[in-house]
Formats: sequence, structure tokens, C-alpha cells
Amino acid sequence: MEEPKGMAGNGPAQGTSLPAKDISKYVPETRRKPGELGIALVAFLIGALGYYFALGMTSGKFSSPSVFPKLASALIMALSAFNFVKALHRDKPEESSSLGRYLFPADVVVILLLLVAYCVVLPRLHFIASSYLFMVLAMVYLQRGKKILRAVLVSALALAVLVAVFRYLFLVILP
Amino acid sequence: MEQNLQYFLIPFLNWEMMLLIWVGVFAGIWVGAIPGLSVTMAASLLISFTFSWDINSALALICGVFVGGVYGGSITAILLNIPGAPAAIATGIEGYPLAQRGEAGKAIGLCTTVSVFASFVGIIVLAVAAPVIANFSLKFAPRDFFLLAVMGILLIGSIGGGDPVKGITAGAIGILISMVGMDPSTGEMRYTFGNIYLMAGISFVTAMIGLFGVSEALTQFRQAGLKSPKQNLDRIIPSWATFVKYLPLSIRSSLLGVFIGALPGTGGDVAALLAYDQAKRSVRNPSRPFGTGAYEGIVAPETANKGAIGGAFIPMLTLGIPGDAVTAIIIGALYIHGLKPGPMLMIETPHLFWMIVSCLSISSIALLVLGLISVKPFAKIIEIPKEIIMPVVIILSVIGTYAIQNSVVDIFYMIGFGIIGYFMRLYGYATGPMVLGLILGPMLDANYRRTMQGAEDQFLPFLQGFVTSPISLFLTLAIVFLVFSQTAVYRRWRGIQ
Repeated sequence: MEEPKGMAGNGPAQGTSLPAKDISKYVPETRRKPGELGIALVAFLIGALGYYFALGMTSGKFSSPSVFPKLASALIMALSAFNFVKALHRDKPEESSSLGRYLFPADVVVILLLLVAYCVVLPRLHFIASSYLFMVLAMVYLQRGKKILRAVLVSALALAVLVAVFRYLFLVILP
Repeated sequence: MEQNLQYFLIPFLNWEMMLLIWVGVFAGIWVGAIPGLSVTMAASLLISFTFSWDINSALALICGVFVGGVYGGSITAILLNIPGAPAAIATGIEGYPLAQRGEAGKAIGLCTTVSVFASFVGIIVLAVAAPVIANFSLKFAPRDFFLLAVMGILLIGSIGGGDPVKGITAGAIGILISMVGMDPSTGEMRYTFGNIYLMAGISFVTAMIGLFGVSEALTQFRQAGLKSPKQNLDRIIPSWATFVKYLPLSIRSSLLGVFIGALPGTGGDVAALLAYDQAKRSVRNPSRPFGTGAYEGIVAPETANKGAIGGAFIPMLTLGIPGDAVTAIIIGALYIHGLKPGPMLMIETPHLFWMIVSCLSISSIALLVLGLISVKPFAKIIEIPKEIIMPVVIILSVIGTYAIQNSVVDIFYMIGFGIIGYFMRLYGYATGPMVLGLILGPMLDANYRRTMQGAEDQFLPFLQGFVTSPISLFLTLAIVFLVFSQTAVYRRWRGIQ
């Protein structure tokens, strides 16, 4: 799958000679990415809702609590409209690149599902059990089902170190 | 003078204090490196278990943790693009591309040496000019803090990721999110929708961990199978020539850090971002273009946030006003031990002032040694396969988030911000400006409104204040210059790429 340009933290380069990309180096593209118009619309909606709810706050003075929420919301709407029009002027995305595949490659979907499951079980199983399960399952999946023993052992070791350091040395309370 | 020297030498001659400082620096480096575990939290924890100790020993440990912790925040920013603290956001912009080139060792080595230098600059200013700077910093009115926040917002141009409009959009969304919760001046609820969890607002540290940590992990999973870069660890300590080359920038940025640190309410985070921005504007021939691994982009924020440590102690020791959250906790410690921080502190207990100067100096020496020893093991972290390190990073982010206020809801927010950050990165919206908006939003809002109330809600007197007060006029002119320096005309004139 083709990687988007200008993405932050564009993954490790192989070897040491490849230039790294980060958020400071944005390369404008001729084609828009799948869903780029959608994200500008979502941002506009955030601004519109922000403004709408700010109307219910105390206003009428230059120092009212609603001044900054309104200013920020109006700015978001104006800039998102600009981003939308700018994206509209670029070529359409490639036919082959579907929005679903672009946003959610298989690995990202699996990790997101694991994260959601983690959030669900965390209040019930608490930190140690749920974190151990999350790490083992994530590592086993990312290693494509190989080296299961390594995943089991590394997760146990990592968790033991984390609990020892945070719970007993830094006295941090764990969920 | 002789008396002061004697006070200064106390920690050097007391093996117990010496040991506590070294332990503090070591622990601080690790606490600082974990996103969410902050120096403030470590210092407040230390207060509780040093309660029954002698004040000298307690201060020695806290000073060590303070210096080590500010340094530790930069390590994960360089290695994993996940800043351990907001003060390290700017460091990650240049540090992470360097780690991707296999130069993490060199980057951390440089970061360590310039950090120690800046820390000493802060200490020297603290020792020599504390009262003068403290009195000056008290002259800052709400209007001036508002102008400082505006200056901060202008940094979006620097960390906005090339598309300034998308950067400003992200920054404005950050400001909007920072408005969530109870308005501190009127008690009115903004965007809380009757939800009890939203009333306290959304912590910018929670957002930072999600936007940098989890979104980085998710982005990395898009490139499964790519090997982590091999790190070159042959020469980690920068040569004398390299150090001298960056000396003017180091001095400039550390002094900026000392001053920003001395202002009550602003600390290393704002200082580091301002210094990064200033370096980006003023360095004509960086080692590489900014954004692709320029060493200048590590030197500037790192010297600024270390200079801010000495700076934060200035108003605390001379006036009893904390320069940042950690010094606020130290004031608490002084009260617990029966001392009264305030203008009389230096007159009644001069030994305390000189002992803190001394503890900070020893901490800086310890930082040099411990920092350089840790470079190689730290740099090795990046060579661990991604499928192993990234799940661990996510769990670390969970611990860090929960530690802020022991709330499971914060973990959900953090993961939510992680997913938002992932989408933002996909479409070229940098996550840095959103965090910047979250940090500066409340500062902008509160100080703008205070200034406006001072001008009796009249727009003209509000504007007049910007030109009638000398400090405000200076800051206003600085903002005009900052805007002008982003134009093509200025860059051509100065010959900057």
C-alpha cells in the first residue's frame, strides 16, 4: 500500500541513509487522499457545534466567558472551509485506493479492536491481567502467530518490570 | 561572601546529600522519560515521604529529581517521537528524524552536554541576578502574559508541519478543547453538557500522551515488517569544536529559558518552544534543513528548558512566588519544615538559598555523568522490534495517563486522542499545534479577559495598554517582528532557506 506523504513519524527507514520524514516536512500532493474532503467537513462540524454551544454561554461583554470559544469555533469553520476548497481543487484520489483500506489497514484495525477490548475489560480485570492480555495478543498478532512463547515471556517480563518500578518504587497507583 | 561559600559547600561535604542528589537525578531521568509521569508528580510524592527528613536532605533529593526529570523527557521524544513531557515536544521534531537516521546516540549525547551547560547558565543567573530578575518579572501584567501566549500561538508556523492552514486549524481545535470545563474566573460551565467528568476539563498531558504516544504507535503499525534503523554509537560525546559551534545558540536559548522560567506560570514547555522557533528563524545554515534532523533544533529547546530550571527558582527564593509547578511544591516543602518562603527568606535563611544553588550544581554534574552513561542503553531501545516495543509503549501510556489523577476516564480520553491523532497524521494535520493550543488556550483566555476587565470592557483602553506600558510595547513589537519574519521578504533579506 502506498504511504501518504507528509505523514508524521513515517516509520523507520531501512538502513541509515534514507531521509526521515516528520511533521515539519510536509510535502503537498497533487492528488487528494481518500477521505480528505470528509476530514475537512468533520473539522467544520466541530467548529459549527462549538459555536452553537457557545451561544448558550454568558455573552454581551468583551470579557465574557463565550468570547474565546466563539473566536476559536469561527476560526475552525473558516479554516476548514479553506482546507475543503483547497482539497477540492486537487485531483481525485486514485480509483484503486478505497477509503476503508486507506484509513484502516488490517494491523491498525486489530490494534484498535484490542484497545477497545482493553478499555472494556480494564475496570473489571484491572491493570495487570488486562495489560498482560493486551500485550500478549498484540505481540502474537504482530508477529503473525510466530514466536508465541517469546510474546508470553516478554509480556510477563515487561509487566513485572513496569509493576515493580511504578507500583513499588514510584508508588504510582495502577488502575 | 565567605559565609555564602561555606553554605554552598555544605552539600559537597555531606556524603548523604551527595548520594541523594545522584539518586534523585537517576530516578528523575526515568520518571521524566515516561510520558505522563511528571517531575511535578515525583516532587509531590517526595514531599510525602521526606516529611520526617531533615530539610537539607529533602531539598537535595527534590533538586536531583527536578534536573534529571526535565532531561529525561527528551529521551523518549528523540527515540520514539513520544515526548516524556510538554517541554520536550520541540526536541522530538528534530530528534526523531535523527534517530531514524541512526544518529540517536549522537543526538542524545549532544542533548546531554548542552543541557548541562544550560543548567549551569540558569544556576549562575540564579546566584548572581536573582533579585533583579524577580522584581522585573513581577512587573508583568495579565496583558503581557496574554502577549506571551500570542507569541506561543505564532509557533504553529514552526511546528505546524509545512501546511500552516492545517496547523492553525489543529491549534484552534486545541484551544476549543482547552475551554471544556469550569471557567476559572466565573465558575460557568463550558462544553460540559452536564457531564461530571468534563467539569474538571481535559488535561493537556492526557491529550499529549494520546496525540503523540498512541497515535505514533498506530501510525507505526501501518508499516509492519520494516526493520528498525541500526544505531551508530561510535561517537556519542560531541567534540569540543561541535560544542563551541553551538555555543552562541546555547547561550541565547538558555538565557531565554532562564527568563521565561522566572515568570510565574510559564515554564520549560513555553521556553523550549519559543527557543526552537527562534533558532529556526535565526540559524542561517543549519546542519540539515529544520524538520529533517537539524542539531540546532535539539540544542535550542534543550538549553531553554534546562535554563528554565534555575529561572523557576528565582521568584521562589527571592519573593516566595513559584516559577512553575515544581517550585510551588518546594514552597510547600519549606512550609512543612517550618520555613516561611517570601521576600525575607534570603535574609533570614541565606544558607537555604546557597544550598539550593549548590544542590542544582551537583545535580548538573550528576546529569552529565549519568546522562552520558545512559546514552548507549537508551539508544538500544529503538532497535527493539516494533511488534515488541509498541504494545509496551501503549501500556506505558496507560500508566502515565492514569497516574495524572487516578482516573480510568482519562485513559479513555487518551486513547480517543490517540485515534484522533492517527487520523490527523494521515491527512497532514500536525499534532503539535493541537497540544500547543491546549497548553496556551487557558493562558490566552484568562489573561485576555483579565486585561479586558481591567480596561472596563472598553476596546480602546484595552488596545492603548499595548503601547503605553514599556513591557507590553516591547512584546507587541516582538510579535510584529515574529509575523514579519515569517514572510518571504524577510527570509530573502536574511538569506534563510
